[in-house]
Amino acid sequence: MTKSLISLFAAAALAIGSAAVAQEAAPMDAPSAMADAMTSEASESESRQEFRSLDQDVQTLKKEVLDLNRDLFLLEEELLFPANSQVAFFISMDVGEYFEIDSVNIKVDGKEVANYLYTAREVDALIRGGVHRVHMANLKTGDHELIAIFTGKGPHVRDYRRGATMTFDKGIGAKYLELEITDRVKKQQPEFVIKEWE
Amino acid sequence: MKIRNSIFGLVICVFAASSLASSGMEGQPAPDFALKSSTGENMRLSEHRGDVVMINFWATWCGPCRQEMPLLDELYTRYQRVGFNLLGVNIDDDSGRAMKMIEELGVNFPVLFDARKEVSKLYFVEAMPVTVLVDREGNVRHVHHGYKPGYEEKYLDQIRSLLRE
Repeated sequence: MTKSLISLFAAAALAIGSAAVAQEAAPMDAPSAMADAMTSEASESESRQEFRSLDQDVQTLKKEVLDLNRDLFLLEEELLFPANSQVAFFISMDVGEYFEIDSVNIKVDGKEVANYLYTAREVDALIRGGVHRVHMANLKTGDHELIAIFTGKGPHVRDYRRGATMTFDKGIGAKYLELEITDRVKKQQPEFVIKEWE
Repeated sequence: MKIRNSIFGLVICVFAASSLASSGMEGQPAPDFALKSSTGENMRLSEHRGDVVMINFWATWCGPCRQEMPLLDELYTRYQRVGFNLLGVNIDDDSGRAMKMIEELGVNFPVLFDARKEVSKLYFVEAMPVTVLVDREGNVRHVHHGYKPGYEEKYLDQIRSLLRE
């Protein structure tokens, strides 16, 4: 019994010893070093791929958030301004040689609904062709009166104040009105026109 | 005595409520506005996004405002070139008086006129002066009610830390 135990221990010691020698010898072994390098390369490429897929996930998530934000915005607008009762007023400017807008005051049915001051940057944007949605409202179907009062600098940089009035019929469906400031070259005066978008 | 105490209590409550209302703005997006300035130009807060903006509400009849404005002007002159802007919002009905006071004090920061008190309502201004600090993202970060000597040190610290962000 004791003999067999001793032989078992001896065998175990030999096995451990040979394993240690093998381990010590390993760095000297060229094929195994190559194998190690290959495995590390493989793990690197794996982690790179993982990183790439994580980045793609983040991008997709970002896009989803943006889409959701857009949908929420549209939904909010639809709820606040249902298409049937929606009326929007836009300001646009053509050339702007005889008039530099400072502010616009909008009254609908005698009630002031918007009073907007334009900064130099905003005026520049209008002259470059920008269109500004100055007000959006809900109105009942039927006739309504719109009064727009424009203030600013007129010809020869003089203070200028002009009004434009229009009665419009609000039918079923959204209504868009454009308050356009144009230059009348013949009279060398600005002109204020209210147009309905169709 | 009881009546006097209750009146005093009521005054304290009203003041605390107004301070709470505007203090609740901290961390919230600063309400946008456009006003006519002393130079005749219209100025809009959102056009200063990217800069640290101090909005100082003042009136000609307010003594502490007169004390505070030259100190604010110093801050404006010093930090203007590194992205700091100061908008003084005057709430007088008559802008002529405000112009006179600006000339007297010799301040250089832009002064805007809120004669219709629309902007002061947006910012729950119920005491004078009120100073609001807006960060580069356009959020209200600090609201100060009134002015006492030494407040400018607080402003300086807050402006510097907001500029560093």
